[in-house]
Amino acid sequence: MKRYLETGNFAIAEAAAIAGCRLYVGYPITPATEIAEAMSKKMPQIGGYFVQSEDECAALHMCIGGALGGFKAMTATSGPGFILYADPYGWAIGSEIPLVVVNSGRVGPVSGITGSPGQGEFYNVRYPTQGGNYETIVLAPNCAQEAFALTVEAFYLSERFRTPVTILADQLITDGMEDISIPETEDEMKQMGLRLKEREINYGPEFFPPTDEIDIPPAVLGHNTGVLCSDWTPTEEGYDTEELEACHKHVYRLIYKIRNHKDLITRYESIFMDDDPELVVVSFGTPSRVVKAAVKKAREKGMSVGALRLISLWPFPDEIFKTKATYLSVEFNYDGQLVREVQRACPKDSEVHFFGQCGELPKISDLLELFQSLLDGKPISAIKWQREAW
Amino acid sequence: MDYLAEKYFRKRKTPSTACSGCGLGQTQKMLVKAIDDLGLTLEDVIWGTSIGCAGRQTFGMWRGDGLAGTHGRIYAIISGLTLALPSEKKIVCTVGDGDAFGIGLMHLLNAARRNVDVTIVVCDNLGYQSTGGQYSWVSPAGSVTDSSPYGMYEPNWIQDGRDVLNIIREAGATFLARHVSMDGEFGVQSMKRAIQNKGFSLVHVVFPCITNYANTALGSRNAVTMFRWIIDHSCRLDEEQKKDTIWRTGVYHDTSNSRLDFATLMKNKLEEIQRRSAS
Repeated sequence: MKRYLETGNFAIAEAAAIAGCRLYVGYPITPATEIAEAMSKKMPQIGGYFVQSEDECAALHMCIGGALGGFKAMTATSGPGFILYADPYGWAIGSEIPLVVVNSGRVGPVSGITGSPGQGEFYNVRYPTQGGNYETIVLAPNCAQEAFALTVEAFYLSERFRTPVTILADQLITDGMEDISIPETEDEMKQMGLRLKEREINYGPEFFPPTDEIDIPPAVLGHNTGVLCSDWTPTEEGYDTEELEACHKHVYRLIYKIRNHKDLITRYESIFMDDDPELVVVSFGTPSRVVKAAVKKAREKGMSVGALRLISLWPFPDEIFKTKATYLSVEFNYDGQLVREVQRACPKDSEVHFFGQCGELPKISDLLELFQSLLDGKPISAIKWQREAW
Repeated sequence: MDYLAEKYFRKRKTPSTACSGCGLGQTQKMLVKAIDDLGLTLEDVIWGTSIGCAGRQTFGMWRGDGLAGTHGRIYAIISGLTLALPSEKKIVCTVGDGDAFGIGLMHLLNAARRNVDVTIVVCDNLGYQSTGGQYSWVSPAGSVTDSSPYGMYEPNWIQDGRDVLNIIREAGATFLARHVSMDGEFGVQSMKRAIQNKGFSLVHVVFPCITNYANTALGSRNAVTMFRWIIDHSCRLDEEQKKDTIWRTGVYHDTSNSRLDFATLMKNKLEEIQRRSAS
């Protein structure tokens, strides 16, 4: 094990190298630029390529090209770049191309505040492209070490499910300096629970079978398989078609290969949940670290509080919200995004509340005050957040 | 069926679903003839397309490996693909004028800058025809189309002093030619040179659209009228230009194999960095 005091960006680059990434294409953007910088140094050392593209749209398209040639590929950006992925992301979903995409959230809308953390893309990463008819896989680390582990996992899942996998981080995770351990041997990798999967080649003739099965190798060009892949609805062989029945078969696969194997993807952390606490605080990413500290403090004070920290965001883990409780979603945004899914997933007679702010983390003392208010059945608008508008 | 179609195309996709009288087949045949003349096989060539008439009609015809990119993005996809493919693989792309000179121009220019090893055949039907017939950036001045009912009066990229091929040459392309689809063997010779260039080659081929362009711009759905009209408005680069010439045909620029293509450059650099790190 090698230890570093480094950024999450560094951890992600190291993870990509270990996972077998051989092509990184990116466009500079705060706060993900250092991933590109780290990859520009790292890729040639391990026999891979780094390319700085003309924009983010080209970046992900070039990654698609590399993946179609048999490379594992990755790109990274922030919100303003992520929306330019809409075009290639859809192409990769439809043609079932394994890729890894990192989105380090900052404060929006638009270019917003470049150097502050935000969680405004909770739904963007679920619906990264137009047209619907698909499921997406999104993982959300809350520290640099976990960003390392989840990047390796993202490559693994992308190969098994043959689809792009997004890592949704935020500026504090990618830019923050932390203690990071990087495994150096296979044993150390196993100890850390890291999984790897090599790229395989699909020899056809059914490149797009209408089944929810996973572990089907993706389309790879250049092996004389006669493979066809395009942005249109494909037949099983890859021909473009306007047939609704073919579309149904195709999108059945895109949706259910993920839904029916959700157990392979879902990850979360339960904090003080064993005694069915009255108040359950839900969060992901950096805010979850403050939430955890606040919940520990609350327990010391005898409050009936627990927490659920989402590690995989999509497909959304509805099944972990089955208990009737008062739920509080703590987010890095003002409009309330995660809270909508919590409200949808939890029992209908549960109370659901939202606390959100951008740019700076909530104070533990503020959260404790908030927990107490909710446990006392009082409204939470008395503190500086004026109302729960979501 | 044509012997070239028999040899290289999929039965399921032949004949294509192009409109009656469309000149896309002529254009595609020039490219396949060039491939055949060079002795290339199904294994040697990967065929890329885009969307629109040129993309959709040619996608999947090639019996070897094929792909179609989203609108204007095939140039970025190919840039990544060449890095991963063995160096001897040839990539040819049939794309439309809207795709190459409109929505995809920035990606195309960057692919030219990198000298990506690809042959782009821009199949130019003088506008956006699969969407019903709107003008593009290379529609001739004054063209009446469904989106230019008073004639196309926006400056285009086909007039003297504003030729899109000049932009692409300055961007770094190493082979550029322009033809009309009736050029036959003359066009095949250019396409052969394009494929033999290990770098960025682009051949712009103007072909007739009978269903939309001929109907609105020329006032006739008679195929012969439009074929004649294109011939009358084109002349070879080495011939004296007529007053109403729109397209001059022939090789515009040839610095074939004068600089490394993108993938070779990247591979060489990679080896160099690894050698340096090792020592």
